[in-house]
Amino acid sequence: MTDLVAILPETIVTAAAVVVLAVAAIWGDARVRAWLPWLTLLGLIAALASPVAYPASGLFFGGFAVVDQFTAFFRLTFIVLAAFTAVIAPPYLRREGVPEAEFYATVLFSTVGAMTIALATDLITLFVGIELMSIPVYVLAGLQRRDRYANEAALKYFLLGAFSSAILVYGFAWLFGIAGSTDLVHVSAAVAKAGLGSPEVVVALALVTAGLGFKAAVVPFHQWTPDAYDGAPTPSTAFMSVAPKAAAFAAILRVMATALGPVQLDWALVFAVLAVVTMTGGNVVALVQTNVKRMLAYSSIAHTGYILAGVAALAAGTSAGAAVLFYLFAYGIMNLGAFASLTLLDLEGTRGATLDELNGLWSRHSSGALAFTIFLVNLTGIPPTIGFLGKFLMIQPVLDAGFGWVAVAIALNAALAAFYYLRVVVHMFMYDPEAGAPRIEGARILSVSLVVVAVITILLGVLPDPVYAFALRGAEPVVIR
Amino acid sequence: MILERQILDHALTLLIVIPLVGLVPLLFFMRDERAAKQVAIVTTFVELVVSLVVLGQFRIGEAGFQMTDSVMWLPSLGIRYEVGVDGISVLLVVLTTLLTFISVLYSSGGAIKTRVGEFMAAFLLLEVGMVGVFVALDLFLFYVFFELMLVPMYLIIGIWGGTRRIYATLKFVLFTLAGSLIMLVAIVAVYLASGDAGSRTLSFADLVNDTSRFPPDFQFWAFFAFALAFAIKLPMVPFHTWLPDAHVEAPTAGSIILAGILLKAGGYGLIRFALPLFPLGAQAWLPLILLLSVVAIIYGAAVSTVQKDLKKLVAYSSVAHMGFVTLGIFVLNVQGGVGAILQMLNHGVVTGALFLFVGIQYERTHRRLIADLGGLANKWPLYTTFFGIFVLASLGLPGLNGFVGEFLVLVGAFKFDGQPVSGLVWGPLAAIGVILAAVYLLWMFQRVMYGPVREAYKDLPDLSPVEVASALPLLVLTIALGVFPQPFIRIIEPSLERMLAFASAAAVAVK
Repeated sequence: MTDLVAILPETIVTAAAVVVLAVAAIWGDARVRAWLPWLTLLGLIAALASPVAYPASGLFFGGFAVVDQFTAFFRLTFIVLAAFTAVIAPPYLRREGVPEAEFYATVLFSTVGAMTIALATDLITLFVGIELMSIPVYVLAGLQRRDRYANEAALKYFLLGAFSSAILVYGFAWLFGIAGSTDLVHVSAAVAKAGLGSPEVVVALALVTAGLGFKAAVVPFHQWTPDAYDGAPTPSTAFMSVAPKAAAFAAILRVMATALGPVQLDWALVFAVLAVVTMTGGNVVALVQTNVKRMLAYSSIAHTGYILAGVAALAAGTSAGAAVLFYLFAYGIMNLGAFASLTLLDLEGTRGATLDELNGLWSRHSSGALAFTIFLVNLTGIPPTIGFLGKFLMIQPVLDAGFGWVAVAIALNAALAAFYYLRVVVHMFMYDPEAGAPRIEGARILSVSLVVVAVITILLGVLPDPVYAFALRGAEPVVIR
Repeated sequence: MILERQILDHALTLLIVIPLVGLVPLLFFMRDERAAKQVAIVTTFVELVVSLVVLGQFRIGEAGFQMTDSVMWLPSLGIRYEVGVDGISVLLVVLTTLLTFISVLYSSGGAIKTRVGEFMAAFLLLEVGMVGVFVALDLFLFYVFFELMLVPMYLIIGIWGGTRRIYATLKFVLFTLAGSLIMLVAIVAVYLASGDAGSRTLSFADLVNDTSRFPPDFQFWAFFAFALAFAIKLPMVPFHTWLPDAHVEAPTAGSIILAGILLKAGGYGLIRFALPLFPLGAQAWLPLILLLSVVAIIYGAAVSTVQKDLKKLVAYSSVAHMGFVTLGIFVLNVQGGVGAILQMLNHGVVTGALFLFVGIQYERTHRRLIADLGGLANKWPLYTTFFGIFVLASLGLPGLNGFVGEFLVLVGAFKFDGQPVSGLVWGPLAAIGVILAAVYLLWMFQRVMYGPVREAYKDLPDLSPVEVASALPLLVLTIALGVFPQPFIRIIEPSLERMLAFASAAAVAVK
């Protein structure tokens, strides 16, 4: 019974997904469909509230799952991201005729998978969570069936995702081979015994890094990202670019800190190099994009690099883990917001706006342009925003761990990224709208929620302490001792 | 009484809050030009009055920070919200509020024709950042305000600027941002070096008490990072290339603020943070900075001489004037330092005024090239008088404010006895710049104001009442600072000595 209480939030989200599907199947008319996002939201809020009513902590299911502050932080993050997705999706889905109930249900299922990763203390649970998170996302990418770009995106994402899962599970098999157990703590003990530089540990490390690197879009495993993000329906992209990435980092933190923590010296430098390569690669390619959706896809790769720097610095203690958690939370909100802002534009198909199509957005839809600008300022890392705090908090453990060059790389990359983020602002504010471009009307809930969330990113930028204190507690379980 | 006390105790916080409060009604009146202008004028005026109250309450002769306000801001990081003023910053705060008020007043007179509400909103946001920079006493807070200035100015140049505004504004932002992000890394490094986990701080007062916690190597790089950010902002040669572009393209009010305040944030950062916190680093970089200062003075003046565009000429003259500021700060004596701060104030007033008058003239003639102008003196007696006085002040005529600052900096430079090159070299070299200033400014004035008047300019009107009202406070300050510099020096001197004492005490301790 206590086991079931422990996974109450996951259960509620699953139930919400089923209810959404059932309601849409039974009453299929438009009036009911309009309520689906709110039903989704209700389920997510219930899931968020349930641990308050029925608290649980410790190991459950015979050591297959754990509920700790790490779990709690990621539950919050995933639920917030799913809720934000549900609120911003309707206008696009209706315009493009994407099946709505399926969209919300898939988002919810994927969220359950992500939450399962945060629960995992065992390679099996971890892998189940990763698959449960990934498979719905492949569906999300292809939900706009009649669009060939969406089809391409889904297929590419699925094939490479399946491939990376195979690599990952092979890596897990090596870990199992080393330890004779799938429990992360047992694996850790066996890895410690095998010691630094032992060949089987190195093989397992390489495979796991590659597998999880695929999921998080680390250069050079990022090739699927631009096409998948670009071709998928924009609300799907918004969700895909944040939740799976946060989930992948939850997995990376658990595996690297716990199972492979004893050989931290083996991988820290590799991760530091990967971090710099990833942030630089993402930014350099983003610089030359003229399609904003594609540019944001590459920029999300760059952000993976910043977050990875925090993983490389895990030896610095709680502050490193907390920086990763905080950044994931901040990145999730600001990146989702940026993609969501694109859905304001009434454009055909899944392709995002080109820079020119954003011309004069300020005079065509002021609140949308304002919100988009705030999200871009967040992504640039200019205070007083949550995005700036993410960078500030990230540089701290990176320096503390002795990776001064990575910290400098973060700073230079942020300046590089400013160029393409601010170029979008240039087009929105400093160019006149193209001839005949109408004022954008409607989508009131979308624009209001964008503005509200944008303001929240500033408020949390001024008063980040609640979130950061939570992140500090959440990082305790993934400190390398 | 209690309320009054409360307000006075938190006057600096009030200065940060007032423009934010003004933003609220402005957002509602965004589309109503008249209302937007009124809200902005009232807000910046109240701000100016409060800053004058702060100046009135300031206890002259005290070196330390006054009217400090301090609360724990981010408990889990030990970062405080801490504001205060001393003799160095209090005058810069008043300069900020004054120039902002003048800019807003002038812009409401018709200089800004499109998107007036947005323009005013950007200005109020900019004012928050500028005032915040000068009152922040915690490095984190300082950085937040330092960057907060960036986005509004980016929009002001990019939306209301000239034809190449987008190139100019992107260049401005990217230069500045690259520097300040490097500084951010250094700030985090300072934070980590400030103590063990749990007792870390970024509060200036705590950090400066014991700079021996920063080893020489650390100071070398930390000073480099800070100085780089401020050198780009100031700007020092060779980081000055964004400045002419930004100035030429910016709308008049943007130029006034850019030259008057934003550049000062760089000089202020050097003297407030870079020098006292990393005295050993400063010692190591000193020769290079002095060299670059003198290069800036001579190069800036020489390039100004050959400019064809009026705004560009004033922009390059700013490079030269800022050279005096860095020279004055880094000769590390009282005369030089006081001169540097006076030079910042004077440059803010005078160059702000010069940009204002170039803007006024441009609005009427729509020409900025010196060759296209001429003969305006007979038509515009009032304009010519004002403009002439500001030009004379800028070239350092005794009796006007420009002279005092440059003279003190030169005295300081001659007195400099450091290595490897003594002040007897720096002083005369810098003095060349003063002579060149007279050359390019007087020559410019002659070509623009005298000679035969063009047919097209015959019927253009002289200064309007709003323009006179905008320029008058600057004129008064120009003369006041020139004739009675002593009260200002008495405000600045104790605090400056304190900053220099931090710098030299640490240097002595190591020897």
